[in-house]
Amino acid sequence: MEGRPLDEEELVEQARGGDARAYEVLVRRYQDLAFRTAYVIVGGSADAEDAAQEGFVKAWYALPRFRAGSPFRPWLLAIVANEARNRRRSGRRQDDLALRVAEDRPSGDAAPSPEAAAVDREQRRLLLDAVGRLGESDRQVIACRYFLELSEAEMAAALGCRRGTVKSRLSRALHRLRAVLAEQGTPAAAPDARLQGGER
Amino acid sequence: MSRRELDLDQALADLAASLEFPPTPDLAAAVTARLDEAPARRPAAPARRRGRLAGLVGRPGWRRLAVAGLAAVLLAVAVLVASPGTREAVARRLGLRGVGVQLGGPPPPTVTTRPGERLDLGLGERVTLEEARRRVGFPVLVPGAAGFQEPAAVYVNEAVPAGGRVDLVYRARPGLSASPFTDVGLLVTEFRGQPTPEFLKKVAVLGMVEEVRVGGEPGYWFSGEPHFFTYRDAAGSLQDEQTRLAGNTLVWQRGELTLRIEGEISKQEALRIAESMR
Repeated sequence: MEGRPLDEEELVEQARGGDARAYEVLVRRYQDLAFRTAYVIVGGSADAEDAAQEGFVKAWYALPRFRAGSPFRPWLLAIVANEARNRRRSGRRQDDLALRVAEDRPSGDAAPSPEAAAVDREQRRLLLDAVGRLGESDRQVIACRYFLELSEAEMAAALGCRRGTVKSRLSRALHRLRAVLAEQGTPAAAPDARLQGGER
Repeated sequence: MSRRELDLDQALADLAASLEFPPTPDLAAAVTARLDEAPARRPAAPARRRGRLAGLVGRPGWRRLAVAGLAAVLLAVAVLVASPGTREAVARRLGLRGVGVQLGGPPPPTVTTRPGERLDLGLGERVTLEEARRRVGFPVLVPGAAGFQEPAAVYVNEAVPAGGRVDLVYRARPGLSASPFTDVGLLVTEFRGQPTPEFLKKVAVLGMVEEVRVGGEPGYWFSGEPHFFTYRDAAGSLQDEQTRLAGNTLVWQRGELTLRIEGEISKQEALRIAESMR
């Protein structure tokens, strides 16, 4: 599930021994993940940067307590997410999940007609809008699963919940997302939605 | 998964592929610079505290509190150092399930009680009382005492400690002043304490801790000078960085549960609220 590169354990071991250069490699490897996870929680880039940076620094000091051989990502995410949550509580509410839908299809997709592309884009925008209307907890669990593509263990770490409850939280969130979509009248909630992948 | 579930699943995956996050800042450079600044590669606690406070007092508006915090630290340290012998003797008989009470010994390295962050109490996710009751593996108690039956906010953290933890927060109001350490009127914490490892760590000074009984079960009342207090973080580590100062606090045992009340209240008031929990 973790799919760790071979040398991660070695890097972590070196960093645990006090090698700051090895740790820098780890930070570089996971800075996207850490920053985006923090962003999903705090909803603003300045706070997300702050939380991720502080999380990495705290993780460095906590490394002696890291259990050798256990996966690094969930451990790191728990620390970063905790920093992010602390900022969210102490700070003002940010523009929630101000993510954008890219203008262009990601490369590798078949180029649709300009009209179809516009419809696609509009559908994705509506879906993102619906996600943004969910409560904080639902939004975060959906973002962790789909936007950050976290494993269950990582989701539990990022959300600060038990691993056993991740699935049920996700399914409750999807249920409520479907309700929001139905309210919007977005066809994504209906079986014949244009958004479904199978027909493309 | 049903067809409909698959559709939404696919639609979200499709959305994710075209989603733009803000650009990631160069964290590796910033983090490395901060680690390089530190006197040792993984410095001992005192060096880190110096660095932290230097940064704090440099910021306008933070100076007063940082200095006050530092003064409290120094005072506590001074008193602790004075009575090492007694401290050893007492430390052995203190402690509840999930709570370590350390009288003396090395003070925690940092004080993070600072303006703007004082509401950072290391709480979990904000939920309703009903939701909190569903999420944790123990019966959540609420004070029956008048004025405390309806907490202003309820937080749950399912991950740490094992079995979860619930916090009830009460706003300051006439007759219940805001604590300078938490900014709230009263903070009630409940968790199922395990003998080890401890979830809360307290470093206090002899003479400020009093053994009490709550409903016939053991407890401690901390008062007078602020004491240090550390929670385990979401990753399960006792984070020195999360140490903060706490004011008057009652910690007690109730069966498997360990409870904690913090606020600017008298011992009698704390005991009255504690006895009313059900």
